[in-house]
Amino acid sequence: MNTALLLRQLTWPEWRAHPLRQTLAMLAVALGVALAFSVHLINQSALAEFSAAVRAANGEPDATLACAARGGCDDAFFDVLASIPSVRLASAVVEVESYALAADGQRVALKLVGVDALQVAAVAPALLATPAAGRDRLAALDPDSVFLNASAQQRLGLQPGDTLRVQQGVQTIGLTVAGRVAAGGAPLAVIDIAGAQRHFGYIGRLTRIDLRLAPGSSAAALAVALPAGWRLAAADDAVQRVANVSRAYRVNLTVLALVALFVGAFLVYSVLALSVAQRTPGLALLGVLGLAAGERQRLVLAECALLGVAGSVLGVAAGTVLAQAALRWMAGDLGGGYFPGVAPTLAFSWPGAAAFAALGTAAALVGGWLPARQAARLVPAQALKGMGGTVRHGGGAWAGPALLIAGCALAFAPPITGLPIAAYVSVAVLLVGGIACVPTLLDALLSRVRTPRSPLALLALQRARHEREGATVAVAGVVASLALAVALTIMVASFRDGVSRWLDQVLPADLYVRTAASSAASDQAFLPEAFEARVARLPGVARVEASRTRPLVFDTARPSVSLVARPIGDAARDLPLLEPPLAPQGEAPGVYISEAVAALYAVQPGSAMTLPLEPTPLRVQVLGVWRDYARQFGAIAIDRATYQRLTGDYRNNDLAIWLEPGASLDAVQTALRAAAGEPTLLDFAATGTLRTMSLAIFDRSFAVTYYLQAVAIAIGLAGIAASFSAQVLARRREFGLLAHLGLTRSQIVGVVAGEGAAWTAVGALAGLALGIGVATVLVHVVNPQSFHWTMEMLLPWGRLAALAAAVLVAGSATAAFSARAAASQDAVAAVKEDW
Amino acid sequence: MEASTGLLRVSGLAKRYGAADAAAVFENVSFDVAAGEVVAILGESGVGKSTLLNCLAGLDTPSAGHVTLAGRALEGLDEKALAHWRRAQVGFVFQAFHVLPHLTVAQNVALPLMLLGRPAVATAQRVEGLLNAVGLEGLGERLPRTLSGGQLQRVAIARALVHRPPLVLADEPTGNLDPTTAERVIELLAKQVRAEGAACVLVTHSSAAAARADRVLRLHQHGIGPA
Repeated sequence: MNTALLLRQLTWPEWRAHPLRQTLAMLAVALGVALAFSVHLINQSALAEFSAAVRAANGEPDATLACAARGGCDDAFFDVLASIPSVRLASAVVEVESYALAADGQRVALKLVGVDALQVAAVAPALLATPAAGRDRLAALDPDSVFLNASAQQRLGLQPGDTLRVQQGVQTIGLTVAGRVAAGGAPLAVIDIAGAQRHFGYIGRLTRIDLRLAPGSSAAALAVALPAGWRLAAADDAVQRVANVSRAYRVNLTVLALVALFVGAFLVYSVLALSVAQRTPGLALLGVLGLAAGERQRLVLAECALLGVAGSVLGVAAGTVLAQAALRWMAGDLGGGYFPGVAPTLAFSWPGAAAFAALGTAAALVGGWLPARQAARLVPAQALKGMGGTVRHGGGAWAGPALLIAGCALAFAPPITGLPIAAYVSVAVLLVGGIACVPTLLDALLSRVRTPRSPLALLALQRARHEREGATVAVAGVVASLALAVALTIMVASFRDGVSRWLDQVLPADLYVRTAASSAASDQAFLPEAFEARVARLPGVARVEASRTRPLVFDTARPSVSLVARPIGDAARDLPLLEPPLAPQGEAPGVYISEAVAALYAVQPGSAMTLPLEPTPLRVQVLGVWRDYARQFGAIAIDRATYQRLTGDYRNNDLAIWLEPGASLDAVQTALRAAAGEPTLLDFAATGTLRTMSLAIFDRSFAVTYYLQAVAIAIGLAGIAASFSAQVLARRREFGLLAHLGLTRSQIVGVVAGEGAAWTAVGALAGLALGIGVATVLVHVVNPQSFHWTMEMLLPWGRLAALAAAVLVAGSATAAFSARAAASQDAVAAVKEDW
Repeated sequence: MEASTGLLRVSGLAKRYGAADAAAVFENVSFDVAAGEVVAILGESGVGKSTLLNCLAGLDTPSAGHVTLAGRALEGLDEKALAHWRRAQVGFVFQAFHVLPHLTVAQNVALPLMLLGRPAVATAQRVEGLLNAVGLEGLGERLPRTLSGGQLQRVAIARALVHRPPLVLADEPTGNLDPTTAERVIELLAKQVRAEGAACVLVTHSSAAAARADRVLRLHQHGIGPA
């Protein structure tokens, strides 16, 4: 029989009769698709924009030689390159990260690129300086002139002719703004290479050389002859690096967004299961008239596909609007901080839209699979007599426990291509397994309840006992959504608690002074050695502890690791170590690595590693692993005195200041500013402020999870409403009988609310238990595999109980609300066919 | 009908839908039913037998006339009061049995007593006695789906009488049963009604069932009278 015909003749009237139910299922799919697709679009747009900005700034050379050393490499090699026949053109570059003072006095992170104005056009035209009207056409060769990109002009508020003040230590260097460059992205200034070398301490040194090769030449041949410090870099290193480091974050966001789609699939299941149950006589009659089992199954699946396609199309449209709004208001960052300075425009992708629409449709089909099988399994003759008309889905009692065991096993699997794919599958399998256990759980729990004397309680309890499969249908969405809400609550609470305790340990002083927010600019924005001593002598200061932070590049495909040189007397006290530190062995200096370094570079306490310091790499021994929530890409702590002795680098970037008892924080800050000379070049923060600010940033970052929880629970409750509405309709005659027996409407509503309470209570228990299980996977597997940091699991019982109680109350109220419609109907009409 | 000293007294009952001058479904319906008496009502389809039963049960409001049971009139009772009245005063037997599938046979029968808050022990004794009386001894713990149609209707009869209501309303109680079973069930109903001293109004199309009644009336649009 033609499925399209059946859809028109049978399904369409059914949908018109219950439009709200079908609309809810469709909206659930739409919401899931919208959230996931918008996150995808935002990330893709930001990455595309970042990639375009990097390409513009780097140009498109045939090959790039990068210097691994922070201080640059000897430029003598540049002259050697010129004599190599395969090199047609070489363009020398000095890149410097620092800060500039905006017109309003604020510090703005700025990248300065020193280029050879005569060569750069052939390699990176976006860096070609365009002098402002009225400026000297040869200003690009002036070592004291800079050319700003649009972002720098806007953030700094500077016009041609103004002075750009760039931080160097605790002083500034003044450069004249002479025009603009076309490069997009984060704030950037182009300066003549000689000026960059002179002003920023790179005399005779280069950080990069871009090459144009002769036709037929290969860059690989150059790699063989490179002197120490130089390496052949891929043109898209930076893009790849950002793509790599932001991938886990992007995947996690997408998975979070897919939560709504996952719960939506359960709503589709609820709606379709009850629709099939209601239509059992009709389907049975069609079976008797010759509609085969496979055709009945196809009919139900076609309904799911229709819901899925409609929901997906709506979702893609809504997701595009959401993404557009997010890009406009949140600049594509989404709280991750991976795309600094990027203001992307929406990059809509049809393949992406098709993929997410397919995902939405697939979710609807998965949700409708069991009801479709139920329709196929109908025994028409029996169903027509009213025997076997109830929904009983496939799978024995073993299915739930088996899935739970499989889910637990998957949680132990290692990451796949650096992502916790198996852990995500584990979460999904745990949820499905837990839901499959609901009938057994319901049986186990309700069998312990004594038969009540109250007739209303008896009615509610007995029905809840005898309709276990119905309970699964009704509470599947609640179990899934509550489990996810509980899991997210536990994860966020654990993380917040971990960060809070970590802050207590890493912020022992009263006041902090910082020159650079990121280690990239730490070579330019530093505190001179004498400044520490000057601060130590200020009135009210009891003790000062200085530290130096600088980046180390171990792997060009990864972001740099921060090397933190600070006084380490007792490592167990000074650092938040996971385990007691090892005793140093031999003469190699000891270092303490963060969890991210341990995970990303496969280093453990007791092993040796080489720090890529200049001029000589330093062989060190790892004595311990510490928890660092501040630097996701890794940090290595080394004793400052040792570092200074071995490198001769006496610069500092941070000061931790302990005040004398009774000293005024404000007075000390004022004295500090006076001592600094250029106080705007320093950031001051009291410990309390830092702590509050850090936790506020944390809360803001995780605020989205609360919205997702609310969405998931709303969808779960919609499942309850859909199933109870359908059941209440199917039980009109039962309610009619109860009215004949003398039950008032409120008592009938009470019976249904009681059933709702019994089922939701079991759903809440199952959701709570499952949520704790899923949280364990999130905390101990997903987090370390995604972000390479661990935390201890904290169970906020009060909030979990409140969450479960809220779901219980909302579920019971939803059931009661659904019952009101049936109870308010004419009791006589309910048994009309009899009289 | 001439008034008598019936337990159930119906006088001048009429039902119209819509305006007061709309055509009546029925009007001028008056009859009494004495305690222990079974009165069968026959009538064409659509003549309002269902509506009449609804009015007797307080499930529908008559347009005119009075219904009094044991001296208490239904007029003026609100919905809640009617529900409580029905709970204590009326037993129902339906054509389609209407037993709750998730309660056991004994629980189904006990439901009216539980609703009235009767003590558990007394309830259990009463249910057991009534199940024995309707021929369902030993089946109290069974679920309805394991019973035959005839047995289900016996459960319904037991439930209708368990709380000793003064009024039993039965609608085509044999409509879903084969003739042999139907005869047994109607005999059982009549016997139990008489034994309990209730007034019973039986609506039926079956002349065999009507033959078991003490009186047979025929309902038509403008009144009710002997068949």
